[in-house]
Amino acid sequence: MWQRIDKEIRTMPWGVWALAALMVFGLSVAFYRLFAGLGTTTNLNDGYPWGLWIGFDLFVVAFSGGAFTLAAIVYVLQMHEFHPAVRPTVLTGLVGYGSVLVILVMDLGRWDRFYHFILFPNINSALFEVSWCILLYTLVLISEFSPVVCQKFGWERLGCFMKKIALPLVIVGVTLSTLHQSSLGSLFVVMSERLHPLWYTPFIPVMFFVSSVAAGLAMVIGGATVSRWVFKRTLSRNLVAELGWFLPWVLGFYLIMKIGELLAAGELGLLAANNYYSLLFLAELAIGVVAPLILFSFAAVRRNRNWALFGAILVLLGVFINRFSVTWWALKPIDGYFYFPSWQEIAIQVGVLSGAVLVYTLVGRYLPLFEGTVDVARAERIAQRSPTPQPAGD
Amino acid sequence: MTKHAILIDLTQCVGCHFCEAACQANKGLPADTQLVTLRFNEFTGEDDAFSQEMGRKQCMHCVKPACASACTVGALRKTADGPVVYDAAKCIGCRYCMYACPFQVPAFQWDRPMGLINKCDMCADRLAAGEQPACAAACPTGAILFGERDALLEEARQRIIKAPDRYVHYIYGEREAGGTSVLYLSDTPFAELGFPEVGYESLAHANEEVMHATPTVAAGMMLALTGVYWTVKRRNELMHRHPIDFEVEEAEHVAKNR
Repeated sequence: MWQRIDKEIRTMPWGVWALAALMVFGLSVAFYRLFAGLGTTTNLNDGYPWGLWIGFDLFVVAFSGGAFTLAAIVYVLQMHEFHPAVRPTVLTGLVGYGSVLVILVMDLGRWDRFYHFILFPNINSALFEVSWCILLYTLVLISEFSPVVCQKFGWERLGCFMKKIALPLVIVGVTLSTLHQSSLGSLFVVMSERLHPLWYTPFIPVMFFVSSVAAGLAMVIGGATVSRWVFKRTLSRNLVAELGWFLPWVLGFYLIMKIGELLAAGELGLLAANNYYSLLFLAELAIGVVAPLILFSFAAVRRNRNWALFGAILVLLGVFINRFSVTWWALKPIDGYFYFPSWQEIAIQVGVLSGAVLVYTLVGRYLPLFEGTVDVARAERIAQRSPTPQPAGD
Repeated sequence: MTKHAILIDLTQCVGCHFCEAACQANKGLPADTQLVTLRFNEFTGEDDAFSQEMGRKQCMHCVKPACASACTVGALRKTADGPVVYDAAKCIGCRYCMYACPFQVPAFQWDRPMGLINKCDMCADRLAAGEQPACAAACPTGAILFGERDALLEEARQRIIKAPDRYVHYIYGEREAGGTSVLYLSDTPFAELGFPEVGYESLAHANEEVMHATPTVAAGMMLALTGVYWTVKRRNELMHRHPIDFEVEEAEHVAKNR
């Protein structure tokens, strides 16, 4: 037993140690923040009470949307060919939401009262709804992932039970996701005086929901290529290509909503202003929507792992720009206030994200995460034996 | 609902800061924390005449406050008496109220390890005891009037009518953000005094309209998902059974007629 652990530690790749170091550093700073207060450790102020952390929360939740999107595709639409992607994607969601929960506690002035949203409900508050949905959906994600753990440790009866209730779990999970992906957008419905009109719209909840579907799909598609490098396991090219086929539709719908909303509100002229705001808005649409929409319309792009990764990164970049715009970059400035994150804010954020990636890596190493996926090493062996050599695993 | 209110006639304000001091003393606040802030606005007229006009910032005590609508734990609440009160024992310090408030009033205690929100509560405890707010009681010139909102609005209108040259013809707070329980009269346009221009509708309305759709969305989503699941399942069954179906049917038919 100890020899085994010793051997595992010796053979652990250096990347894992780097992640662990970043995580330990970040969590030490986080510990300091909890007792030193927000004023001493962050650059947040009365003009910008929310900053880097909330921006990342919104972004991470958005790309964790792959879990509910894929669950809906596999269990509700019953397109079982996508099943191999479910476990890796649910784990992405799980570590994503886990990191968001940690950061949310960091962000509370009275973090010791984090449970107050359970005791003192205000049903009119978007943040109340978000808190509840994220809590419940994290529990759903844990349940959805539990069969993997059960399989590893041979808890067959519990595993079977969790698989039996998969469908109701998925339906509850997709509903909770719809609610909180959109109500993260509802947070900004009350901010019409502060948020620039290009972004402000009562439909922002729907836009958040649609873009989270795009970000979630992009995370699965891009993740397949990254996982091929890191874990030597990946999704089949057919599966990636078919997932990529959904993207132009989702992105197209999002684009029509964004432009249509400006049209309906009579704000299309703001786009021609050629100022900071119009450029920021157009950058999101060009980088994160139009470019990947065109890319993923080509079957050749959808079937090429590197191009698919590139397109997925564009989608994620677009959602990143969008979420940071509504929390920070597109807020109307207030005289006397300026915000740029402190090194402590950045260290804590990097530490928590490193922790999330670290957990993912370790789970991928030791748990049956990649059942039904393509074994790249085996593909390489076949390629060596075959008389007409193919590019490995492709 | 909005019984009590405060009317502040800035033309009578001499900038003595007694209101600030009385507020701090009454609430026992540290020296650098103010719930009521007077600020000087300096103007130079066309004839180079220099003048100082007072602006003021404090909680407006909205009739339909967006902060109370946004607060995660319901720590902010509009009372029937008029004030928007704050329950520090509930607050988790999420700072959503600071973004919800169109006047950017709630301030966070950044310097404390366990930070909460600072906000004027119109001295709700003094009101309950039948007294007027500390700032109104302290004002030496009568610039801060405490009373019932309707009566104060009427008083403000009368003042403008009686001295139309003295005032800008506008009562700030009458309709701002759906109406507020702190009202202002001034001889200088409010925008120049740093009062934000906000719409006439309470931001709470848009928020609550969206939030009240939640149960419908949840129920609709669950029904739709179940419906889609059932439809797809049925379709798959039919599609897969068809080629075999005819033979099963035929076999049953043969068996029956044997």
